Amino acid sequence: MKVELENLTKRWGDVVGADSINLEIQDGEFVAFLGPSGCGKTTTLLMVAGIYKPTEGFIRFDERIVNQMAPKDRNVGMVFQSYALYPHMTVFQNIGYPLKLKKVPKEEMQKRVQRVADMMGIGHLLDRKPAQLSGGQQQRVALGRALVKEPQLLLFDEPLSNLDARLRLSMRSEIKRLQMELGITSIYVTHDQVEAMTMADRIAVMKDGRLQAYAPPEELYDQPRTLFVAGFVGNPPMNFMEVEVDRENGDYHARREGFDVVVPPDRGEKAAGRGKVILGIRPEDVTLADEGVSGEIYVVEPLGRDDLIDVRIGDAHVHILADPTLRLKIGDNVKLKFNTHKVQFFDPATEDSLLWT
Amino acid sequence: MAQTTVTSEALVDREPPSRWAQFRATLGAWGFMAPAGVLVLVFFFIPVIILFVVSMTDLSSSNFSEPWTFIGLENYARLFRDKFFPKILTNTFRYVILTLSFFNVGLALVLALLTTHIERRAGFFFRMMWLLPRITPSVVYILMWRRIAHQPPFGIINQLLSPFGVEPRYWLFERPWLFVILVNGFVGASFGMILFSSAIEAIPRDYITAAKVDGASTLQIIRDITIPMIRWPLLFVTTYQTLSLLTSFEYILLLTEGGPGLFTTEVWALTAYKRALKTYFGHNQWGYGAAWGFILVFIGIVLAFVYLRVFRFNELVQEPKIDVL
Amino acid sequence: MATTVGPKGYGVEAGRLYAARRVFNSSIAYILLVISIIPIVIGYAWLIIATFSYRTEGLLPIDADGNVGGWTLRNWAFLNDPAIWHVTLNSLVIALGMVIGVGFVSSLAAYALSRMNFSGRKGFLSLTLILHAFPSVTLLIAIFFVLNFISKLPALGPRFGYNTLGGVALVMISLDLPLGVWLMKGFFDNLSWDMERAALIDGASRFRVWWEIILPQIKPGLAALAIFEFLSGWSAFLIPFTFTVGTRVANLPVYLRQLISDTAPTNWNQVAAVGLFQLIPVLVFFIFTQEMLLSIYSGGAKGGT
Ligand SMILES: Nc1ncnc2c1ncn2[C@@H]1O[C@H](COP(=O)(O)OP(=O)(O)OP(=O)(O)O)[C@@H](O)[C@H]1O
Ligand SMILES: [Mg+2]
Repeated sequence: MKVELENLTKRWGDVVGADSINLEIQDGEFVAFLGPSGCGKTTTLLMVAGIYKPTEGFIRFDERIVNQMAPKDRNVGMVFQSYALYPHMTVFQNIGYPLKLKKVPKEEMQKRVQRVADMMGIGHLLDRKPAQLSGGQQQRVALGRALVKEPQLLLFDEPLSNLDARLRLSMRSEIKRLQMELGITSIYVTHDQVEAMTMADRIAVMKDGRLQAYAPPEELYDQPRTLFVAGFVGNPPMNFMEVEVDRENGDYHARREGFDVVVPPDRGEKAAGRGKVILGIRPEDVTLADEGVSGEIYVVEPLGRDDLIDVRIGDAHVHILADPTLRLKIGDNVKLKFNTHKVQFFDPATEDSLLWT
Repeated sequence: MAQTTVTSEALVDREPPSRWAQFRATLGAWGFMAPAGVLVLVFFFIPVIILFVVSMTDLSSSNFSEPWTFIGLENYARLFRDKFFPKILTNTFRYVILTLSFFNVGLALVLALLTTHIERRAGFFFRMMWLLPRITPSVVYILMWRRIAHQPPFGIINQLLSPFGVEPRYWLFERPWLFVILVNGFVGASFGMILFSSAIEAIPRDYITAAKVDGASTLQIIRDITIPMIRWPLLFVTTYQTLSLLTSFEYILLLTEGGPGLFTTEVWALTAYKRALKTYFGHNQWGYGAAWGFILVFIGIVLAFVYLRVFRFNELVQEPKIDVL
Repeated sequence: MATTVGPKGYGVEAGRLYAARRVFNSSIAYILLVISIIPIVIGYAWLIIATFSYRTEGLLPIDADGNVGGWTLRNWAFLNDPAIWHVTLNSLVIALGMVIGVGFVSSLAAYALSRMNFSGRKGFLSLTLILHAFPSVTLLIAIFFVLNFISKLPALGPRFGYNTLGGVALVMISLDLPLGVWLMKGFFDNLSWDMERAALIDGASRFRVWWEIILPQIKPGLAALAIFEFLSGWSAFLIPFTFTVGTRVANLPVYLRQLISDTAPTNWNQVAAVGLFQLIPVLVFFIFTQEMLLSIYSGGAKGGT
């Protein structure tokens, strides 16, 4: 099922939950809503589910406006962060509840619940109460309950954030596999950008109720349209510094105190002659070299596979990733080489990208 | 960013108007409210109106079958002219003020302080003992008190005090007020006691430890820390119990029926009740009793609104987090 | 002179003094509390002693010859009287009526007030609060007229009119509703929204959500309210006394009150036995549910006197 949101807005008095959101989800697509806490992800999801009524705007399922449709008529399945299992019912009753409400005959219900439970690997737990299950098992029950009614749209609200890191990893791939096999259109809310990047076909980045970007993961990563998206997507986050870009002898130079690099003309051209602009570069696009911009090591944070190094250049700081075997120390002087094909430029006033519009 | 191409207007009229949905939701919610709503209407709202209307008529059991007449505020005028009006008014004040200050607030506070000072289980035990009078059926409770204050040779007080050379007497008859206040106070104290003790237990222990380290005595701690910290429950219990006492009469009705003698322990609420509903002579002056009653109802309504304001109960109310029905 | 520092940073001397003062303080507290409950203990002691004796003088049982002693079960002969079982049944009907009536009606209304968005909600909420503080006994005079009116209605009259058990129960249910609604609303307010949302998405109507999902979550709250209502229904005196005549619809407290006559001599020991009989269920409930009751009283119960 195709889902479209048009100017979707939710307000409670002065509080804005979601602000004119426009996006379109293709049939069978897996879309992630990504954003910091309080940015309106849950609010949007609940409007799609029919729990909240939009203050303004429209929700369409396959061209049909469903603003007034009751949740039970929308044929969506939803998985909550808190699982929201019914504690007084057994696993069987939990999964079977949507079917019971649809008055599905006993035997068929038995069969369908068993099938979904087996698919989720909890077929042997049907007689237990939710309190007797581990977090991961509870999550599977919640997923089973959402799947059993064969919904046309699956909604996930941070379903993995209560699980431990290992379980999160395996559930992540499992959900993705299930979604691909069943081909159900899905919206997946998360504030974990790795989750969003690895699972989604497209990612909608939100901030303060507004949609900041809506694009496939690679595009989001390589062509961020706003400063916020650039900073939010990617870990460790992108480095920013204020520079001025000038054309000199046919080359474009990005300069600030103690910093001068030549950027490719296609990028430099768009940032030149504008006074101060913000340059962004990801840590993995800055490497230690024999020559280049010189700086002094300010902080060393071991991450295991890499060290995260905070290098001071004048009064700017740049984070880079370095091989721990180099045994860099605070105070060491280093030289940095910037992969200038990956630099980004942003307008400091509007915070929009100067490269991608 | 994806932009929708179909204009919304074309599709709007396929949807029922939002007003209608709102109305449907409201209807559904009112379905839940309906049973309570009907009962509140029939047994709170209509009675307030009836009471007001009846209070302006001469309706009584002697003319129940005949047409009664509308006499305006005559019942109210008569009330203030009543020979016993000053007596009843004094009684009411005496009853409310003494019971409230000595028991419902005073003793309640003392009990709360004592039971929170000692070991937890023991404190719980004493609070439970004090809750007993409240849950004992009123008739049984009064039965006990009647025997406690009975005449010789039956009265328990007489028996307990005789070793100290106290003259045996019929306490309930000779000291009716003492017992009216005791009987009500022993029930009334538990309400404040429970609210105060939970408030006291909620005071962070750090404050008290800090004061002790500073060398404060127990009494100083109570005066300077405990009492100021529980001033809201104190104010709540005081105002709430004032209203409750003002309108209560069940225990007095059972203990003395307003006697002994003429109007000795009769309070306002009891007068209203007896005039209208329970008289010795089978003569019910509904109109006149209603006038007494309506004044209390009026006070009750006004005070109830005041509570709502002062204690900001409205702010306790959270918004529902589901929009649809 | 430097004092060594004891635990908690007090000087050892000061600490010892402090400990002594604590013991002293709490023994005073115990003494005062024990004194305070003497009248309550005496009242119950008399009730129990009187029940099993010919007559009492003070707290002493006195036998037929005027000597101390003489235990007897004759005061319990009233148990053979069918009338007592009739009024007991009436008491039970009123009490159960209140449990079911208040439980059902107030959990319906409280659910809507706590969890539904509808126009008029704010108004109803303030109303509940005002009624909660409102002294309902003052309305008895007018309720008399309402019941008289209901008596004249064809179908309802014989069941819920003046001098019927149904009428008494209905009045008592109504007057307890503000308390019930307020308490229940408190329990509903604390439930998870996600669970309710999940049920709505699963396809349940609001009524089914209430019945199948929400009510099972607040069983402890319902139980507390049920016990409270049972006790107040079982002990009810004023309303049955006011709105019934004779013994046909009297409940236990009214029956007991009728035994205490001001004109004829009263058999106090038999009265005590009936009183104890009436008190037994109360005490049983009390012993098993103290903490629940305590939570009700601190949660929002009306003060009474
Ligand atoms: N029912 C409500 N009433 C009033 N304000 C609300 C309500 N629900 C959400 N909000 C506000 O709307 C904004 C968006 O909330 P929302 O729950 O959608 O955030 P979120 O992106 O899901 O955050 P999180 O990652 O913490 O779950 C927040 O500022 C929140 O305070
Ligand atoms: Mg959320």
